[in-house]
Amino acid sequence: MSAEASNPAATPTPCEDAQGDGRWMSQHVRFVSECKEREPDVVFVGDSLVQLMHQFGIWRQLFSPLHCLNFGIGGDATQHVLWRLSNGELDNISPKVVVLWVGTNNHGHTAEQIAGGIMAIVQLIHNKLPHAHTLVLGVLPRGRMPNPLRERNAQVNKLVQDALSSLSHASFFNVDPGFVLSDGSISHQDMYDYLHLTAHGYQAVCEPLHSLIARPDTNGTLA
Amino acid sequence: MSGDDLNPAAVPQPVEDLHGDGRWLAQHARFVQECKDGEPEVLFVGDSMVQLMEQYEIWREMFSPLHALNFGLAGDTTCNVLWRLQNGELQNIRPKAVVLWVGTNNHGHTAEQVAGGIVAIAQLLTNRLPKAKIVVLGLLPRGERPNPLREKNAAVNRLLCSWLPRLGQASFLDVSKEFVHADGTISSQDMFDYLHLTSAGYRTLAKPLLDLLLQILEETPEDRRASLV
Repeated sequence: MSAEASNPAATPTPCEDAQGDGRWMSQHVRFVSECKEREPDVVFVGDSLVQLMHQFGIWRQLFSPLHCLNFGIGGDATQHVLWRLSNGELDNISPKVVVLWVGTNNHGHTAEQIAGGIMAIVQLIHNKLPHAHTLVLGVLPRGRMPNPLRERNAQVNKLVQDALSSLSHASFFNVDPGFVLSDGSISHQDMYDYLHLTAHGYQAVCEPLHSLIARPDTNGTLA
Repeated sequence: MSGDDLNPAAVPQPVEDLHGDGRWLAQHARFVQECKDGEPEVLFVGDSMVQLMEQYEIWREMFSPLHALNFGLAGDTTCNVLWRLQNGELQNIRPKAVVLWVGTNNHGHTAEQVAGGIVAIAQLLTNRLPKAKIVVLGLLPRGERPNPLREKNAAVNRLLCSWLPRLGQASFLDVSKEFVHADGTISSQDMFDYLHLTSAGYRTLAKPLLDLLLQILEETPEDRRASLV
């Protein structure tokens, strides 16, 4: 795996305020505050797929009762999540589980670089929260029909799954219930824009995830 | 009003497939297909503010019953919406009302250009659907605290307020005031990322919008009424 110094996906980088309304930093600051105010058992971290989960009924139904915090920000790539977690979003809390779902927005990076970025985040979480278990969710396929990004994401998952297999403090969880149909297509009933999940899509992803996290013996450890 | 041929925000333009998964074109193709399959009474068109609305319960509660179609596409500028409407997304349909909500993503353009782009779309809709009423939604404030984009969006809204009446069939609905608190902040309870609306945020907008749409739909033209008998 690439050394952090030469892997842009594994180099902590804040998001530039290109548009001029400071939204990314506002969200980060809000998450840091939540760390001071709350005592979560589970923290979800990642991109829009994490962030949007919080907006659907399924969050209140399945995850709120487990004392979860949601630190997803739309558009984030691995290097942005790495920066956020290095700058306060893991401070003052001691969750049992960190759910990490990121990688699909790493445009311009190779599968190896993206996997390296994800593993750098896993290492950081372990350094900051030695007692937490990190559950890394597989990056979902995207696009209506087969395309290079599906291959890239599948390769990321393979590399990450391999790298995690030797760790006891982290594990890989494939949340893809089979979104790709037999003709190679993804339905807009599952992903309304062939990337983001509908409520129906989230149901299929969240139910197994919830079962895993909510197990009484849970540190999220998979058999 | 800006001359359309000089206004970059009024030039139709598809979105380039930069990432390589063809999602923009795939969504557009689906909308074109929906025009062949459906007979909407209301058409919603715009950016992610429109697109996300369909993902919440509120859509099924308030707008599906009106036989509404949703042609929102995240990230779209006025140029992209113009292109989509000129390339199949108005074919074979005769909605009585069109809700247009776009402009917040026009980052390279001035407020005047953005307002001009929105008016150009409203004009196109009026030309293609002479009997339809166009409801233009004001651009919402964005960002947690006051910032230049809030000022820009407010300036767009002021221009729309003065330019749209010239079109006759267009009305303007702006609920911006509802979202900014006394201290100038926007709450994440209304906009989870200080741009996109939560379910609660959408409710604030949906009530007056639904009232307006119901009014429009009740004004059934004589020939429609006859065919219902």
